[in-house]
Amino acid sequence: MAITYDVVRQVARDLYGWSLKKVPDDTLDALAEARRRETNPTSQRTLDFMQAAARAAEREDRHACSDAGFPTYFVKIGTRLTLDGDIRRAFVDGFADLVETIQPPILKFITHPLTLERSYTGKDMPIVSFDVADGADYMDITCSPKALGSGRWADLKVFSYPKLADIEGYVMECVMEAGSQHCPPVVIGVGIGGSFDNAAKLAKMSTLRRIGTRHDDPMVADMEERLLAAVNKTGFGPMGTGGDTTALAVHVDYSHGHGFVPVAVCFNCWINRRTAARIHDGGKVVRLE
Amino acid sequence: MSDGSPPDLRRLTLPLSRDEARSLKLGDTVILDGEVTITAGFPTHQRMAEALDRGEPLPFPKAGSAFFHMGSSCRAEGDRWVTNYVNPTTSTRFDDTMPGIIRRLGLTATGGKGGMGRACVQALRDVGGVYFSMPGGASPLLSIGAVERLETAWDDLIEQFRLSRFRLEGFGPVTVAIDAHGNSMYDALQGQASARMPRILEELEQARQASAARRAKTAGDGR
Repeated sequence: MAITYDVVRQVARDLYGWSLKKVPDDTLDALAEARRRETNPTSQRTLDFMQAAARAAEREDRHACSDAGFPTYFVKIGTRLTLDGDIRRAFVDGFADLVETIQPPILKFITHPLTLERSYTGKDMPIVSFDVADGADYMDITCSPKALGSGRWADLKVFSYPKLADIEGYVMECVMEAGSQHCPPVVIGVGIGGSFDNAAKLAKMSTLRRIGTRHDDPMVADMEERLLAAVNKTGFGPMGTGGDTTALAVHVDYSHGHGFVPVAVCFNCWINRRTAARIHDGGKVVRLE
Repeated sequence: MSDGSPPDLRRLTLPLSRDEARSLKLGDTVILDGEVTITAGFPTHQRMAEALDRGEPLPFPKAGSAFFHMGSSCRAEGDRWVTNYVNPTTSTRFDDTMPGIIRRLGLTATGGKGGMGRACVQALRDVGGVYFSMPGGASPLLSIGAVERLETAWDDLIEQFRLSRFRLEGFGPVTVAIDAHGNSMYDALQGQASARMPRILEELEQARQASAARRAKTAGDGR
């Protein structure tokens, strides 16, 4: 049996709705760990408040943040499944369903980039990115709504034959530029290499990786570890009012490319919105996060 | 007061008197009562600035009052507007217009998240006002203290962009991040991070060398 438009539409709606009201478990664990380590009394209070707010959002079915952002979906389609209906359209309609039904209502955040007019719909909205999973008989969908607070500080620079020091220095420049403003403690995604667009996607996908995991390549895993230590030495702290934890994680990924090396850096705020589900061929839905 | 905050925090009523504002120190964490005007709108700020430039009165905020950068959603219950949620937005977005708004209205309190630029800090010092940092992404708790929307103005704008006057009761905790004497926690932390950066980059270099040496050793052992 095929995966249908109706199932994808419902999953698209549900994933976006869940992501607004539940801080992921790995993120809650990381916040608790940050609180255990924190030495600054103001930051201790801020971390206590963040954890209590996250618990309240889930318990009371409320939005963690008033800025619902806009939905972005990452879809992996198994090569051994069949699809039935307009799958791209299912995401558009699922988003529209959410706007109609979610309580409390979300505000208008979809912004025309040229006129700055706001609405609930728009060109290319939601942002959906498709990939294939060789040999799989399921479709994985990850939803990660992006709001203004942390979205605004992403950056990309193209280097020629950079040294590691150049790349890491640039990451630190981005951290300094964002300073106190991206709702820290953040998850930082760094994408290196490939083409311009590929590096940006690697960075974004890296923010979706579970906190506490390390890159398979020991050289990159070391880079993640030392960059996280470096970022946390800056002292911006939770909500940027000082403290020991400015980032919960730094996740790095790379692609081979040519001599030019694009480096992209992006941030997820402390609520680190992310949900995922797997739709098996035949329509069975399993929530992954 | 919402859970997650200690019960012994100082409570202040908005609007603050200028003396109260000047008595606050960086890092003071307080709970707020009283009335505040909020908006999350960039066009709202432009409209405010243009009206003030023309010498026209604003519906609110009034002179000497409190004006925060927050978005909001409300629902009608009888003849009252009850809060669905509020949450701060990034204040630096309004850095171009806020110095004029602070000065012309003599705001004793403003707030949001992420801080404000130097010109805003100067304006707050000149008029005797403070900036409160609110936790972003903590909407369920912060919203409890924003008990009621009293009125809105400029209703041609979308809900979160309108000027909205709220009654607060046990709102917070919020942290004094810019005081009325020209001190900014954000400037201080940016300066501190800049001062630390040479050392941080040096330690990154040492860690890179240690990592490379480890990998070389592993490769050697495997040979």
